[in-house]
Amino acid sequence: MATQQLACNNADCNFASDGKCVEGFEIEECPHAGLSLEDIPEAEESATAVEPPEPTIALASGEALARDNASNLQRRNVSRSIGLIGPNDSGKTSLIAGVYDLLQDGPLSGAAFAGSSTLIGFEKVCHLARAVSRRAIPHTERTSRGADATFFHLDMHQEGLGFTSLFISDRSGEDYLAVTDQISQADQFFEIRRADCITLLVNGAQLANPKLRHEVKAATPQIVDALVEARAIRGGCRLAVVLTKKDSVVISQHPDRVQKDFDEMVESIIKTHATHLGEVKSFVVAASPKDCEQVSRGEGVADLLLYWLRPNIPVVAGGDGAPAIFERMIDLLTDTGTEK
Amino acid sequence: MSGDIHISIVGLPSSGKTTFLAALWHMVREVGAGTALSFDRLSQGNYEHLNALAKRWRSGTIQQRTQVSGAKAVTMRLKDDDGQKVEVSFPDLPGEDFSRMWERRELDKGMLETLTAPSLVLMINGDTIKMPAWLVDWTTLQRKLGIVPPEKEPIEWSADLAPTQVRIVDLLQMLMSGELNIGGRRLALLISAWDKVEGEGQTPAEILENKLPFLSQYLRSGRDPWTWQVWGLSSQGGVYEDPEKDESFAETDRLRDLERPSDRIKVVDGDTVISDITKPLKWLID
Repeated sequence: MATQQLACNNADCNFASDGKCVEGFEIEECPHAGLSLEDIPEAEESATAVEPPEPTIALASGEALARDNASNLQRRNVSRSIGLIGPNDSGKTSLIAGVYDLLQDGPLSGAAFAGSSTLIGFEKVCHLARAVSRRAIPHTERTSRGADATFFHLDMHQEGLGFTSLFISDRSGEDYLAVTDQISQADQFFEIRRADCITLLVNGAQLANPKLRHEVKAATPQIVDALVEARAIRGGCRLAVVLTKKDSVVISQHPDRVQKDFDEMVESIIKTHATHLGEVKSFVVAASPKDCEQVSRGEGVADLLLYWLRPNIPVVAGGDGAPAIFERMIDLLTDTGTEK
Repeated sequence: MSGDIHISIVGLPSSGKTTFLAALWHMVREVGAGTALSFDRLSQGNYEHLNALAKRWRSGTIQQRTQVSGAKAVTMRLKDDDGQKVEVSFPDLPGEDFSRMWERRELDKGMLETLTAPSLVLMINGDTIKMPAWLVDWTTLQRKLGIVPPEKEPIEWSADLAPTQVRIVDLLQMLMSGELNIGGRRLALLISAWDKVEGEGQTPAEILENKLPFLSQYLRSGRDPWTWQVWGLSSQGGVYEDPEKDESFAETDRLRDLERPSDRIKVVDGDTVISDITKPLKWLID
């Protein structure tokens, strides 16, 4: 076998000149040897030239907004920033999804959908409660612990009142619970410091559970205590206290007791923080019920939405003749610096 | 009314854009059609594409889906009753391109001209509106009816699962932002396949309100400067046949039996039904 006449189609192999296979094969075994370069057919030119991909323009992601993006959008309209707080599994994401899903059917108590830059984000959080997910029961993904708060955006229109942009914050419940262990954790809650309305969620299913009831009654107000103590909640800020998962409450053994516990919790918060907070109002909702026999889907959500949309009452300074304090939330939200 | 007017036809896949163009091209050239806009004259363009569409439309066969990306521009020189002339160009943007904007959050630069037209025809297939449905409503209903649903593998989220009205709202928002934002625009919203929808006894505005309430709220709120109107449209008047499936329908034969092919067309404005398919276009360019 005249090995010198053979070539190799491996470009790194010098078999033709030094007789050694670069991959260490015996010549009879080498899968690349045996062809001279001339034997290799030239690649035929493609009949149609491959066109380079068309340049593209990136469009907005539609996901929930990071802090800076929310700040930019807040400049467009009158806006309300809603700080949703509550322990994990209290129903924060379900409430966000519930508001959006109810708007799919039409206006809520005269408040109509006018636009949103976070439709992809809304669609994602709604998916597990939709029939298209093919799940057996509605479910909501838990927000990741330790991640920065993000904002869901809704532009709403009310006859006679015009447009209001809502920015609803979303952060892990575990992060809010952690503030009761270490108050300095509150420093990271920029969404709370900037909120026009804090919305504290109380898990109705847990309050109806004898084993968890007392823990909920103890831990939930402690979150407010810690946030006020840390000055994370602005003076005069409105507070909505929301009993969630009404469907679980009404089928529990003690629905009246749950309501009583909840009312006492609200009273206790008012009593403790009346001088610091603005108006405190309570709501009961079934944003994403697992059953519609006793409650309707989204029950109570429209009232809460209207409360969120209400204008802020300027915080009037003491009777020293000083002007009323009327802070624009946008100024606070864009201030990334060193709040005390 | 004079000069060049650019009207873009947009819509999700299978919303009836090509059939609309086919019916329009036939009707403006049909003798005695008496439309608000009528054919003026041929210019130096290539009419092969339009003629092929109109030929298939007249014969009662469905349009072939050959084009899946890139706008195919067609131009018609039309005139109104007063003899005012206008050249109307219709970049027929494939629904797949429009759909990709929602799903992939990007658009080809080549689509910029099409999507910045001052007047838009937005087509929504009234027969295939995907409405949101909630698990809890389904399970409650199934329990009441004593139905045990079969276990199915859960489906992960993907953008194409979104309800029709959400996709349309976001696409309209995109057309009012960034490089696509040219300020106020006119929007003719055509709810197509009206022959399938009319049995519900609702006007086009009621269909918008009841089947697309999210879109209805967005448009009525006026946050984005759309000047819009909604019509119902049946470009075919009924079912057409697919020659590849060797279909033959009595309903299609009845359509063929009509004296004028344009009698198949239904344009619904409130309670009024006409066959003048140019009416929405006249409104767009007035």
